[in-house]
Amino acid sequence: MQPRRPPPPAPGPPRPAAPLLALPLLLLAVQGAAAPTGPEAAEWRPDTGPPHGLLRQAARAALHFLNFRAGSPSALRVLAAVQEGRARINAKKECTVDLVFTTEHYNSEEGEERLGKCSARVFFRNQKPRPAVNVTCARLMEKTKRQQEDYRLYKQMKQLRNPLDGVSIPDSHGHIDPSLRPVWELAFLGSSYVMWEKTTRFLHYYMAQLSGVKQWETNDGAIDFDYTVLLHEFSTQEIIPCRIHLVWSPGKPLTVKYHCQELLAPEDASGTEEGSAVAPTELSNF
Amino acid sequence: MIEDVQSLLDEEQEQMLAFQARASSTDNFNYATYHSLEEIYDFIDLLVAENPKLVSKLQIGSSYEGRPLYVLKFSTGGKNRPAIWIDTGIHSREWVTQASGVWFAKKIVQDYGRDPAITAVLDSLDIFLEIVTNPDGFAYTHSTNRLWRKTRSHTSGSLCVGADPNRNWDAGFGLAGASSSPCSETYHGKSANSEVEVKSIVDFVKDHGNIKAFISIHSYSQLLLYPYGYKKAAVADQKELDEVAKSAVAALTSLYGTKFQYGSIYTTIYQASGSSIDWAYNQGIKYSFSFELRDTGRNGFLLPASQIIPTAEETWLALQTILEYTLNHPY
Repeated sequence: MQPRRPPPPAPGPPRPAAPLLALPLLLLAVQGAAAPTGPEAAEWRPDTGPPHGLLRQAARAALHFLNFRAGSPSALRVLAAVQEGRARINAKKECTVDLVFTTEHYNSEEGEERLGKCSARVFFRNQKPRPAVNVTCARLMEKTKRQQEDYRLYKQMKQLRNPLDGVSIPDSHGHIDPSLRPVWELAFLGSSYVMWEKTTRFLHYYMAQLSGVKQWETNDGAIDFDYTVLLHEFSTQEIIPCRIHLVWSPGKPLTVKYHCQELLAPEDASGTEEGSAVAPTELSNF
Repeated sequence: MIEDVQSLLDEEQEQMLAFQARASSTDNFNYATYHSLEEIYDFIDLLVAENPKLVSKLQIGSSYEGRPLYVLKFSTGGKNRPAIWIDTGIHSREWVTQASGVWFAKKIVQDYGRDPAITAVLDSLDIFLEIVTNPDGFAYTHSTNRLWRKTRSHTSGSLCVGADPNRNWDAGFGLAGASSSPCSETYHGKSANSEVEVKSIVDFVKDHGNIKAFISIHSYSQLLLYPYGYKKAAVADQKELDEVAKSAVAALTSLYGTKFQYGSIYTTIYQASGSSIDWAYNQGIKYSFSFELRDTGRNGFLLPASQIIPTAEETWLALQTILEYTLNHPY
C-alpha cells in the first residue's frame, strides 16, 4: 500500500468580485487508464459530425467516473448539455471521444442553475465496458462547503439506524423522505462506480431505485453500507439488480464492492458480474 | 329524539369522510398524485357522467388477464369524423404517462367551448384517448413490481412473463431492435399482434378507417419521435414530420424550459422494431408521433408526483400543436 500523498493544493478562493467564469479550471483532474495511441483509420467528416448519441454516451461515462473519483456524495453531478465534441474510430472499432459538456448539481432541487463545465476524453474499446476516462471539470461547489456538506451528510447517516429494512427509495410515487435523502446520495455515489464499470459504447445506465439498505458498524466510524440498487440499462430497457457494499468517510477514499445479476432467463442461474474498487488516494493513472 | 338525530348525523359525517378518499367528481380528483387502475377507471366514469354530450367510453377489448381496455371518445358529433388517436401507459412503469392521460382528458372537457384552438379541433375531428393501454402491467406495477414494463401474457415454453407491447406491432416485426427472448424487456412476442392489448388497437384503428394522427406516449428521455424505428431510412414525409416536431417541441419548451430533442426513432433513440407509430405510419396515418416525457434520468420512471401536472401541461402544448396541424392539413 502506497503511502498517502496530500492531494494537489487547490488554487486559492476567488476574489469576491470575480465572475463565476473566471474561476480557475483544472481544480479536479482525473485520469483513467491511458488510451492507446495508434493510427486512426477513420474520422467522422466535419459536416456530419459524430452521432449525437455518442457524445452523450461519452459524457455520461465521464460523469460516472468523475463522481466516483471525487468521492463526495454532496457534490454529485449530472449531465446538463453537451456543447461540442468530436470522435475518432480506429480499425479495431475503438472509439476516442473528445468533448465539452456542462453539468448540474445532482443533489439540488431542480431549477438550481449551477452549470459547471467539463472537458473529457473518453475511450471506448469497441463493445467492452470500463471506458477509459480523462476528465477535467470546473468546480461546482467550493471546497470547504463541499466538505461541510459531506460531513453533514455523514452525521445524518450515522443517526439512521436500521429501520431501513424493507424501505424502497424512492417510493413508488418517486418520493424520497428528506431523512433518507443522504442514503440515496451515498448510494448514488457507490452506484456511479458500478455504472461507470458497466458502461460501454452502446450501454448506459441510470439508477432507478434502491432497496434492502443495511448499515453496519465500523470501528473507525466509517459508514458501512450494504444495499441493492436497481439499475436501468437504457438500450435494452433491462432492470439490473446489483448488490453493493460501500465504505465511506468524509474526505477518505470510497471503497466499493458489487455483485450484479445479469438476468436473461430464470433458468440461467449463472451470469453475475462482480467488481470492487478502492478510489486511489492519489490522482494518477491506474 | 334530538340525540338520535345527532347520532345519525354523526354517522353520516363518518361515512362521508370515509368516502372522501374517493373523488366524487373530476373537479375534486387529485391530478397531482399517482392513482391505481381502479381510481383511473372511476375517473373515466365520472368524466363521462359529467360530460355526456362530449365524452363517451368505448371498450375496445379485454387484456390478457381479462381487464377491460377502455378508450375515451371526445366528439361533438358527425359520423366517423377524421380522428386523432392518443395512447398513454403502453409500458406500465411509465407512470407519468397514465397520469398525464388523466389530466389531458380533463383538460379537453375544460377547454372545449372556452379555448378557441381545441374547440376548432373538436368541431371537426374526434379524439380517442386510451389512458391505461396496458392495464395488466399497470396493476402489476402497483401490486408487485413498480418497474414492470411489458404485458402479463404467458409464453409457452418459458417461465418468463410478458411481451413488450411496443415491439409487437406489425412493422418490421422481429427485426433487429427487439428481442426474441421471452425473458427480455424488449421481447417482441410470438408473432405480430400476439398481444391482445395491441391487437385491440389495431382492430379499432382499421375498423375506424379515418384516423389521421396517431400519438403514443412514453417516458422517459424528453424526446419527440417520428417513424421509423425499425430502419434507418427516412419516411417519405420526413421533412414535414420534422417541421411539425420542431414546432411541437418549441411549444412544449415555452412553458417551463424543458428541453426536448426530436427526430426519427432510429436516429434519436435506438433501433426499435415492431413499434406502434411505425405501424400506424405504414397504415397511411401520416402524423404519427411518439413522446418520451420527463425526465432525462435523474428520477427516470419514478418521477416525483409533484412533476405530474407540469409534465402534463407542457406536453399538452405539444399535443395541441399536432392536433391543430392535423386539423389544418387534411389528407
